[in-house]
Amino acid sequence: MELRIGHLYAHYLNIYGDRGNILSLTNRCRWRGIETEVKTLGLNEDFADDYFDVFFIGGGQDKQQQVIAEDLQARKETIRQAVEKGAVILAVCGGYQLLGHYYRPEGAPDLPGISLIDAYTEAGKRRMIGNVVIKRNDGSTLVGFENHSGRTFLGKEVEALGSIVVGNGNNGEDGKEGCAQPVGKGKVFGTYLHGSLLPKNPRLADEIISFALSRRYGQVDLPALADGLEQKAHEYAVSLKA
Amino acid sequence: MPKANGVALKDMLAVVAGKTAAFAIKTFGLGLASNLPGRIAEKMSPKVLSSLAAQAERGVIAVTGTNGKSTTSGLVASILQAESLKVVHNRQGANLVAGITASLVDAASFCGRVDADYCLFEIDEAALPLVAKATPISIVLVTNLFRDQLDRFGELDTTAKLIQSGIEINKSTAVLNADDPNVAQMVATCPRLFYGIRQLAVESTVKEELSELSYSPCCGVEYEYSRRFYGQLGHYSCPACGKARVEPQIIADQVNVGAVKSEFLLEYGEHKLKIELPLPGLFNVYNALAAAALCYAAGISAQAVQEGLCRYSTLFGRSERINLDDKTLLIQLIKNPAGASQALQAAAADKDGQLLIAINDNYADGRDVSWLWDAEFEQLKDKKGPFIVSGKRCYDMALRLKYAGIESGEIIVEPDLSGALDKALAELPSGKTLWLLPTYTCLLELQKIMKARGCKLSAT
Repeated sequence: MELRIGHLYAHYLNIYGDRGNILSLTNRCRWRGIETEVKTLGLNEDFADDYFDVFFIGGGQDKQQQVIAEDLQARKETIRQAVEKGAVILAVCGGYQLLGHYYRPEGAPDLPGISLIDAYTEAGKRRMIGNVVIKRNDGSTLVGFENHSGRTFLGKEVEALGSIVVGNGNNGEDGKEGCAQPVGKGKVFGTYLHGSLLPKNPRLADEIISFALSRRYGQVDLPALADGLEQKAHEYAVSLKA
Repeated sequence: MPKANGVALKDMLAVVAGKTAAFAIKTFGLGLASNLPGRIAEKMSPKVLSSLAAQAERGVIAVTGTNGKSTTSGLVASILQAESLKVVHNRQGANLVAGITASLVDAASFCGRVDADYCLFEIDEAALPLVAKATPISIVLVTNLFRDQLDRFGELDTTAKLIQSGIEINKSTAVLNADDPNVAQMVATCPRLFYGIRQLAVESTVKEELSELSYSPCCGVEYEYSRRFYGQLGHYSCPACGKARVEPQIIADQVNVGAVKSEFLLEYGEHKLKIELPLPGLFNVYNALAAAALCYAAGISAQAVQEGLCRYSTLFGRSERINLDDKTLLIQLIKNPAGASQALQAAAADKDGQLLIAINDNYADGRDVSWLWDAEFEQLKDKKGPFIVSGKRCYDMALRLKYAGIESGEIIVEPDLSGALDKALAELPSGKTLWLLPTYTCLLELQKIMKARGCKLSAT
């Protein structure tokens, strides 16, 4: 088996340790004897809509965000097709914001998103910075660190990634964090959680790996890994204050 | 306001109060007295910083930037001393307004007299505008601008703006790193002096997976490099608008980087000086070059620069070597991806050395440990273990090593720093070096531990 990962705008959206997510996906496959291919997808780079199993897009500063937003418009249909055919996309912070309809900065024109999910983001006055713990529907927890002033609001039909236990999440108001939304045969995970997210949340990493593999290999049961260090780091993060 | 010997009574009283507090803190072993005396003096006279600093004959000079502030200002102090100049320097590294005031209070006489040629301050990036408002700074050196403590500053561009406004307040002479595109573009309206590296004797072989931010500010396009030293530092140009590195005036050439010391040729005005720097790693070459450039702007002689750099003795925790019986401890503070990657490169080059990495997440360390994922721990992949990790975020650190390709069995987790140090020293063969890489508050803790063990340390 092989997991194909497309890392969108790796050289632009790389400010916040988010490449730990790629390291988590590749290592957790390697430890199970699953091959991985990681391809960095830059500006003006076309790709087939049925090649990649997982896309990752990280967070950046406002200036990079503009360049990316422009380029994403040209890739909007390819990405939608890819997800509808079964790919998974994980988007963190700035990348997450661009998956919605738009990002409205303070006193500047809107940055268009790709409307992959029904959501929009507006700049807020208060920067939301600190540790985050959220609870998912199955009762499991996710941990991370948020640093954003954008406030994201999900449409009624969109499922959040979890509800806030510690921290602010999507907008600091409705107690929701991120999104976990099926689109066609695929799934869109968006979140504000850095940390990096996946190394300390190995359960979510495996959920993404098995979902992404099922696109080409049918149902895949991943053997358990020795996650002692991951659990300890997760537990410590759960104990932190905002 | 009555004045005695030209010093306002209010300032004199502030100095006396600050000095009394410092005396009490030191006498009762409560700490280093590097901040509180300053805070007390400020409370009593808000102008105390300004009136004490104004007494320096040749003015105030400052060092700011993300990495290398302490070592660079230490090197500058060493050069100024070689020139037989008297310097007030916040050498304990307390680089906010209170710490800077405390260093002045400490240096002043009881009647508020400061007998110095220069005030040399390392200043936190966010504190620079505050200090610049309080006292005119004649020269500001900017070392580099890496991502650092984003939980504090929000974005890198915010930090750059703070530094720029701090320089513009007094139209200070800016001494800037030509190799760092984030720094070289600053303050075009002020007098500027640039420094940079021309060439390494051996090209760097380290491959950086995802390097630091390096985009042309006008078009947001990634820079291209003809030479890249580390992070975003190098000879760059923008493929879109042609904006490129400016040719520096103060230059390091034929740079030979070593694990113990480095050698290079320093072009200092018309002088070509052979420098043997007793510090490891390329990052320290940049620190020395920056210090030389600041001194050039201040009109210091070439001879003093050469002497001050070659005879430098380290500050605690900044590439400092400590001998423990037949073993060596090398302590290097880490706080962000660029600095940590440089320290790891130096440690990885020492084949028989071992590592202890200690990570805390207190405010002064940065509360977010995401940055560990951007530092190149992959450089340790082929190194022999064990790797000892400690501090409050020891499990995050252990996880980072595991995902860098190090076997879990090679990673020893010991949250307690004193215990971790014992384990590390027990594992270390005789005659070898333990590379100890702590974040800031782990370094402070280490200082206490070493003191309790009766170990002789550099002055802090």
